[in-house]
Amino acid sequence: MAAHLSYGRVNLNVLREAVRRELREFLDKCAGSKAIVWDEYLTGPFGLIAQYSLLKEHEVEKMFTLKGNRLPAADVKNIIFFVRPRLELMDIIAENVLSEDRRGPARDFHILFVPRRSLLCEQRLKDLGVLGSFIHREEYSLDLIPFDGDLLSMESESAFKECYLEGDQTSLYHAAKGLMTLQALYGTIPQIFGKGECARQVANMMIRMKREFTGSQNSIFPVFDNLLLLDRNVDLLTPLATQLTYEGLIDEIYGIQNSYVKLPPEKFAPKKQGDGGKDLPTEAKKLQLNSAEELYAEIRDKNFNAVGSVLSKKAKVISAAFEERHNAKTVGEIKQFVSQLPHMQAARGSLANHTSIAELIKDVTTSEDFFDKLTVEQEFMSGIDTDKVNNYIEDCIAQKHPLIKVLRLVCLQSVCNSGLKQKVLDYYKREILQTYGYEHILTLHNLEKAGLLKPQPGGRNNYPTIRKTLRLWMDDVNEQNPTDISYVYSGYAPLSVRLAQLLSRPGWRSIEEVLRILPGPHFEERQPLPTGLQKKRQPGENRVTLIFFLGGVTFAEIAALRFLSQLEDGGTEYVIATTKLMNGTSWIEALMERPF
Amino acid sequence: MWETWLWAWCPKESQKADEYLREIQELGQLTQAVQQCIEAAGHEHQPDMQKSLLRVGLEGRAGQGWEGGGMDSWGSSLCCPLALLRRLPLETSIPMRVRRVLTARGDGEQGKYRYKQLTIQVLLDRYGKPRAGATLPPLSTPSHSLLYPLAIQICEYLRLPEVQGVSRILAHWACYKVQQKDVSDEDVARAINQKLGDTPGVSYSDIAARAYGCGRTELAIKLLEYEPRSGEQVPLLLKMKRSKLALSKAIESGDTDLVFTVLLHLKNELNRGDFFMTLRNQPMALSLYRQFCKHQELETLKDLYNQDDNHQELGSFHIRASYAAEERIEGRVAALQTAADAFYKAKNEFAAKATEDQMRLLRLQRRLEDELGGQFLDLSLHDTATTLILGGHNKRAEQLARDFRIPDKRLWWLKLTALADLEDWEELEKFSKSKKSPIGYLPFVEICMKQHNKYEAKKYASRVGPEQKVKALLLVGDVAQAADVAIEHRNEAELSLVLSHCTGATDGATADKIQRARAQAQKK
Repeated sequence: MAAHLSYGRVNLNVLREAVRRELREFLDKCAGSKAIVWDEYLTGPFGLIAQYSLLKEHEVEKMFTLKGNRLPAADVKNIIFFVRPRLELMDIIAENVLSEDRRGPARDFHILFVPRRSLLCEQRLKDLGVLGSFIHREEYSLDLIPFDGDLLSMESESAFKECYLEGDQTSLYHAAKGLMTLQALYGTIPQIFGKGECARQVANMMIRMKREFTGSQNSIFPVFDNLLLLDRNVDLLTPLATQLTYEGLIDEIYGIQNSYVKLPPEKFAPKKQGDGGKDLPTEAKKLQLNSAEELYAEIRDKNFNAVGSVLSKKAKVISAAFEERHNAKTVGEIKQFVSQLPHMQAARGSLANHTSIAELIKDVTTSEDFFDKLTVEQEFMSGIDTDKVNNYIEDCIAQKHPLIKVLRLVCLQSVCNSGLKQKVLDYYKREILQTYGYEHILTLHNLEKAGLLKPQPGGRNNYPTIRKTLRLWMDDVNEQNPTDISYVYSGYAPLSVRLAQLLSRPGWRSIEEVLRILPGPHFEERQPLPTGLQKKRQPGENRVTLIFFLGGVTFAEIAALRFLSQLEDGGTEYVIATTKLMNGTSWIEALMERPF
Repeated sequence: MWETWLWAWCPKESQKADEYLREIQELGQLTQAVQQCIEAAGHEHQPDMQKSLLRVGLEGRAGQGWEGGGMDSWGSSLCCPLALLRRLPLETSIPMRVRRVLTARGDGEQGKYRYKQLTIQVLLDRYGKPRAGATLPPLSTPSHSLLYPLAIQICEYLRLPEVQGVSRILAHWACYKVQQKDVSDEDVARAINQKLGDTPGVSYSDIAARAYGCGRTELAIKLLEYEPRSGEQVPLLLKMKRSKLALSKAIESGDTDLVFTVLLHLKNELNRGDFFMTLRNQPMALSLYRQFCKHQELETLKDLYNQDDNHQELGSFHIRASYAAEERIEGRVAALQTAADAFYKAKNEFAAKATEDQMRLLRLQRRLEDELGGQFLDLSLHDTATTLILGGHNKRAEQLARDFRIPDKRLWWLKLTALADLEDWEELEKFSKSKKSPIGYLPFVEICMKQHNKYEAKKYASRVGPEQKVKALLLVGDVAQAADVAIEHRNEAELSLVLSHCTGATDGATADKIQRARAQAQKK
């Protein structure tokens, strides 16, 4: 069970159950014992859908990672390849199958393509002479994976690069398919809003796909009131800034992968007395982070500066609860105390973990360099000195700080200045190439193509207009009891979320001018509903908006949307979908190119 | 034409109708007229109108002495709906004559038996579905066309869901329609679309496949236009060798796999020039094919960029190439030269110059390796200079910095870091005094402290400018002096910074001093 998926306004467990059912059905088609050969990239996302126990129930006895040459020995009837439809993987599969044929008993081979079957890949298998070896060749349309009660992701790392650099819309097609699946489960979404080239394309594909499905009238009462499709390149700024929420900082510093984080083990060593710190664990501590954990759900979206006080308050409550045992006198009271013990112990464990994580993060955030970096970021975002070479960035390069950090800052400056003066741009580029190596010229080209780093066209800087109209910079930010989404970056209100907020109230008509400055078209489409399914909202009932970030979303943006959902007079609750959960570092990383 | 004509006179007196009918017959076009009449009946929802249309159709049929399967096969296939017909409400009833025909044929034992055996689905299919095969199946003989409207009526009467009922029949009807060789492609396609519209569950591609099977490729293409599912459109178009059309359909769908499939088809079908031209007109397909080439056919990628005069990408291509295969330095430099030339053509002077610098650096690194030994190739310029200093070749490092115009500030950082790594404190001091530091002296303090050399650090702390003085003094642990400076500066932030460094035991006096200064400042 994944109870945390059903807490939200939309029960995403329905989706999870649907994809689990599909998986079981496929496994049962291949009767008998099985081994699964995994495209390694898929194991993380699959973990969110099905644990090993489910596979085991369906006679999966062995699991391997897909690699060349022979398959490891396994005494099973079926060998199933779980792969993304990629040509290079087909070559490996063919190698596996061919070397398998030459020895021992015959097996049944199958392929499960995730998320889509591919004619191209099947052709390649045919050319390699192995297509006929596969009994079942099917697709598993795992497009959107539920991560939390209000969060779905395709976990497609390369989506941004493919869409904005390479003109490859495969991930947009998958996104549209994923949205069709959602609509099949949660009803037709009556209104679609969008901003950006990719958003337009996804909307077009959805409308087209709907036409293909005429006939099977969807008779489900719509759960979502509207869909907002947003291109990442409409807001290139937000992911570049350092996230300052608890979850955002964990992600910035340690990287959250498929809802898991790996942390340095020292802080988590069991405190045994007299052990003299001998057997310190060397393996990273792995923790799952989602709203199933009560405490985490409470603090994840807070500004990090507000986390400490919650933790210490919790600590007091828990120790008070444990103290209760002294007051338990009668057998009944003791019994009651004991019955609460497991829950209390879990809470204490959770508190200990998060106290340790918070300490780890604090070590970073209180460092001088972190402070300096943040100051520069905030200056850029509030429009100070964006048009000249920045001292701090220069020093970072001179001291050979990590290249990604430097690139994030330079790109941030470029975006906050609608592009850099040619002289400034060339200076940075030269410094980077000389310091980090000329091979990075390819990375710089990529960043330019993506619009993250560019010369200012015609010497006009549009950013101040955008900043003022959308109120992107708020001087009076309250980190403890926020009143505005700008708390997630301690002053900067994420542009993407501001667009969503303004769409819900008072509507985009009020910001036409800014929308025209931002790239790509903005549009609205309606999908007609049969009269029986039209929704009559109860007074005071919030709308539910599905917001889809094409090209990735950060945890800070998610926090800002959750903040809006929770506003008493907000009027809108959000469910968030994306091609990838990301941060500035993983984003730039994906755009980097290393020729050797 | 017939449709409108018949339409006009149908409800009128049958006397007149008969006259018209004879006229048509004389023209030798009765078959067609009858069919269209019956089709029209299928369109019509008004029982009266339907009745009339069917009547006209039947009369024509009876008068003509039907060709094709003849009365016999016509009747035998009509026998089954009999029971149904009896259940149809009176107002949708069919003229007595039809009834009679049906009754005559269907009352036999065999007929009854057959009906009992058939489910409604099978019944409908039997009366609607042409069978596959080269010869015209009996169902599509004209005699059968009567049954389409009838079948539809049955469906409506039985309230079958559209997909199971009406849609199937319409699809079957359409398959029959495409076999009418005497009607133009245009008309058939239009007629089919008019009747079928967007009826759910109708597969235009099935109908098109049928048309193609009858050798009517153009009609098939026209019909495919109405097919909303590209996954169905594209394979048939490819089969019919309409690859370019298939390409645009695939692109419309957004299904990149479909686009790839068509592209690989096209690649085999067309000569290279034509293939490239086709790509050129389809930017989305072109970018996909580029991606394909990037992983599968690098040489083709180059040709594509060449064709488009995309010099910027060509430049990047050669940069990549310079790393990929070539081991020898000459080969790498040559690839880089090609890249630089491309960048010049792309008017990207920056990239061209940078690439030329890279060539220069490569050659130099090779020379350094020859002369000094050690590993220099593929180090960055910065790291090359650092390595030189670490190896004690300060002069060469300076020459390198001049040759490549390393900015002063970065050079200072570079030397500072390298000398501190060497713990060559003497050289560092000499360097610090060579001229006024462009990066100030705080970095000197910091780096010495990082190497745990407080003694050296203190030397530089005194030279740190006033703005960073407090910070420097605190770094070397001189809290008392830091306090003095902060008090002198009357800087609140600095005062709190010093205060935060005061540890209870040793710095009590200093802390008091600061508190007093603060109090005094407040008084003023």
